[in-house]
Amino acid sequence: MAIVLIRAVILYILITFSLRLMGKRQLGELQPSELVVTILISNIAAIPVEDSSIPMIMGIVHILTLVCLDVVMSGVMLKSVKIRKLMIGSPRIIISEGNILQNEMKRLRYSVDDLAEAMRNQQIFDITQIQYAIVETNGKINFLLKKDYQPAEKQDIKAGGSAQDPPSVIIRDGIRDSEQLKLIDLGEAWLTKVLRENHLSEKQVFLMTADKNGNYNIVESEKKK
Amino acid sequence: MKRIVISAVILAVMSVGCFYSVKVSSDFTDKLISQIHEIEESYEKNDLETAKNTAKQLNDEWRRFVDFSILINDLGHAIEITSSLAEIQSFAEDGDDEIYAACDRAKAQIDMFRDMQMPTLWKIL
Repeated sequence: MAIVLIRAVILYILITFSLRLMGKRQLGELQPSELVVTILISNIAAIPVEDSSIPMIMGIVHILTLVCLDVVMSGVMLKSVKIRKLMIGSPRIIISEGNILQNEMKRLRYSVDDLAEAMRNQQIFDITQIQYAIVETNGKINFLLKKDYQPAEKQDIKAGGSAQDPPSVIIRDGIRDSEQLKLIDLGEAWLTKVLRENHLSEKQVFLMTADKNGNYNIVESEKKK
Repeated sequence: MKRIVISAVILAVMSVGCFYSVKVSSDFTDKLISQIHEIEESYEKNDLETAKNTAKQLNDEWRRFVDFSILINDLGHAIEITSSLAEIQSFAEDGDDEIYAACDRAKAQIDMFRDMQMPTLWKIL
């Protein structure tokens, strides 16, 4: 029984490490090869836990081989367009200039129902509003509306405004995040000064956000009271 | 880029480790088979003492190898070899002629064990 427990802990660490190694992309939209690796990992990880007569190294070698191959292949795909096309295919246009490309849809085995469902998912209920649609390599369909149906943007109504990064969290639950502080170019001295002005210590702050212009917002900790 | 390098290194280390384990298994099984030959020869020459000692040494080495069971693909097969080697030791101690049959069986099992570790095409498929 203790063996099962220890194995489960080791596999938990291994799989967490594996998913970190695969990167953040893996946790979002899955490409076909990534989907295969994820399904295989979950199955392989269960085998040495269920059967203690199977050495755990068999599971570890399986998992690490799949994960490392996936990462190495993603590196190769970055360098080679040919291999990328071979492994994950390329996006396909299914509506162009408002016309449905029926042959392309047949080739992709996409039915009208699939198209209608994808439209509804993006709040589009009239196919005549669509100028262009493309099926991404992960199977998701993205649409471009005709000019008349696109929402107005600031530049359409000549409204000004400058682009600015959102505020960063620099203290969370009484602990300062020096990395974020560096990111907004304000420095430790600025933070100390602001806290002194507000008669607060770091520990008394539940949440503090700030932007590059030095605008900040402080939520005091209830523990202080 | 760091991830790719780490992955490539892990892959390389695992590949070397896996093929090295095949070599270790192969060398070890060759040694076991030669020891079984020695037992048979000693028994034929009526040198029971040498046969007994070699059989004991054979069993001890095999057990140490089994303890290091990450090198073994098929634990069931390893258990069969363990019992065959134990029989050889027992027959050597008793001076029983059944030792020849036990030696032949053990050699066949060890041969098969070695073959099972080899990554040949038909086994991969």
